[in-house]
Amino acid sequence: MTSELAQYLESIRSSAKLENSDESGVMSELEAHIQDKLQELTESGLTKEEAVRTCLGQMGSTKLVARQIYEAYSQGSWKQVLLASMPHLLFGLLFILNWWQYPGWLWLVLVLILATTIYGWSHGKPTWIFSWLGYSLIPVLTVGLLLLYIPKGWSLLLLPVYFPLALWWLFRIIIQTTRRDWLFSSLMLLPLPIITGWFLAVSPSGKITEYSLQRVYYFAPWIGLSFIALALTIAAFIRLRQRWLRVSLLATSGLMTLSLVVYYTAEHLNILTFFGLILVMWGVLLVPPLLERYLRSGRKISWRHRDTPGTSFRGTA
Amino acid sequence: MEPRRDLFKSSSNSLLLCLLEQQPMYGYQVVKELETRSQGYFKFKEGTLYPALHRLEKSGLITGKWQMLSNGRQRRYYHITAKGQAKLVLEKTQWLDFFTAVSLILQTERASI
Repeated sequence: MTSELAQYLESIRSSAKLENSDESGVMSELEAHIQDKLQELTESGLTKEEAVRTCLGQMGSTKLVARQIYEAYSQGSWKQVLLASMPHLLFGLLFILNWWQYPGWLWLVLVLILATTIYGWSHGKPTWIFSWLGYSLIPVLTVGLLLLYIPKGWSLLLLPVYFPLALWWLFRIIIQTTRRDWLFSSLMLLPLPIITGWFLAVSPSGKITEYSLQRVYYFAPWIGLSFIALALTIAAFIRLRQRWLRVSLLATSGLMTLSLVVYYTAEHLNILTFFGLILVMWGVLLVPPLLERYLRSGRKISWRHRDTPGTSFRGTA
Repeated sequence: MEPRRDLFKSSSNSLLLCLLEQQPMYGYQVVKELETRSQGYFKFKEGTLYPALHRLEKSGLITGKWQMLSNGRQRRYYHITAKGQAKLVLEKTQWLDFFTAVSLILQTERASI
């Protein structure tokens, strides 16, 4: 296979963003088609270069083919919808039903989140795993918060160890997720500004006191509602096929949910914090695509020949 | 004359199901058959055939199976399913009804000119 054809297939592969289980089959099929086409063209008397040029012209642009492949595979089943929105629903129910006061429920939810995340991560990273992945970072944050409560000497000793480790873990997960699709990184990080917003509203000093627990109790229905809004967003995200609609949904829903947080905590969040949260939300939406571009620019063509296996077919020119 | 995009889009599933009803085919064969049987009328970007086939497969209307050829290469053959056949019968009826209705109107117009 010529480098031009390998580049063509690699470009489709990287833009179609398929799950590992589908990718090999789809790419092998396209490659088999190209081989048949080249054989026919060279047998008709074209030189190899002419055959490659004609073949690529008749296959269609990589952008068009990748977009249609993405749309054919992107829509998740209703089972995936349920699985993906489950962590948001669980957190929503914790607050709406006021179960957050019982440590048993909190532990149960955290263990469930960690177990599901590990299971999904080690079983081919299906689409639904990324909303669980965001919540699996909560134990890391909790450890950081607990460090504030230990004696000061220990705190000073442990914080320089904790921060680099926590950041390394966070970046490792973000990079691995972005390699699959930057949109999943945004999906994973979407609750982050919202959770931070609620946390700052109930506990501006960063320490959890009796007073801040009272505030959680006061805000609990709204906290629950914001998680339910996230669950609905994820459900719609999984069912949508078009990529631009998915991006718009995350941007709109993320900003609207954040506005809900700010609206109900207006007395407790100053203007600077509000703009800080908006910046974090934009970061959640803009940093992953930039990171993906950076990662892609440093990557060599990974598609190689494998032994396994005018008008587009949907009517788009 | 090239087919209108929207007409082609709305008929693509029926065309694929119709071809696969006659015999199982692989992607490249589908392209060639469509071109030959339509006398060159149906020409499209060939890479976009596969998303269309995979959508039909996901809907359970066709199934794809890899087959090893004697030369060591593999091809994915698509077969129509019972659900696909039922869908095709329905779509054929709809197309024929539509075609008859449009023809009746066009013929009336032609007669009145």
